[in-house]
Amino acid sequence: MANYALTNGSGTQQPTAAAYTGALLGVTAGTPGGRRIKVYDVLIGTNGLPADNFVEWSIDRVTTGSSATVVVPNPLDTADAPAVAVCTANSSTGGTVVATGQVFYVGVNQRASYRWVAAPGSELVSPAVAASGFQLRIRSGGYLGTATGTLLFQEQ
Amino acid sequence: MLRPGGNAVITDPGGVTEFDTFTCGHCGTLVHVWPRQRPEDIGGFCRQCMKPTCPRCADDERCDPLERKLERAEARSAALKSYGL
Repeated sequence: MANYALTNGSGTQQPTAAAYTGALLGVTAGTPGGRRIKVYDVLIGTNGLPADNFVEWSIDRVTTGSSATVVVPNPLDTADAPAVAVCTANSSTGGTVVATGQVFYVGVNQRASYRWVAAPGSELVSPAVAASGFQLRIRSGGYLGTATGTLLFQEQ
Repeated sequence: MLRPGGNAVITDPGGVTEFDTFTCGHCGTLVHVWPRQRPEDIGGFCRQCMKPTCPRCADDERCDPLERKLERAEARSAALKSYGL
């Protein structure tokens, strides 16, 4: 039951578009021995030129993750083994999103940062099925800059 | 909210807005609960699994807890794997 941090701080951050196109972050169960993924902390914000625009954030269930760019999440306890989950960041194309699988949606001003922390037992949970997991996505009609995101998740 | 399932904070130039959240017991969707929001506006409460539900699941009278859904998905995956698919 190890905890991991996944951020999009490295690599080339993708511009925001009016529709959900890519995925800021993605985490899906790996193979073999896929485990349940429990997202318990979400931090999001923008790092472009400040302005007043409406920005929508969404976390959706996926049955297939993005293909790029694969990143290695950092274990919060360095004694823990590397994650089995497959993680991606700054993907220009999204995975296969489940139609009714939106588990997180919040709209905030572009200038705002947002953080959600789950109480134990109230995490966003995905099944231990290969390639199943979550993607963090963003869209905005007015903001076309880049965005930042961090997911803290647990593998069980 | 009594025993919230989480806490969300929005920080912007106008100040800090904090509110409680809960995760739907049937589909796992995160629901934000604004201060003094009416209970009927934030969803429902399932008397069978004793978990709060989101507005979408509150309209469905069946109790199909998230844990059962996860177990079904995992069982299906294990079965397909055993068939070599």
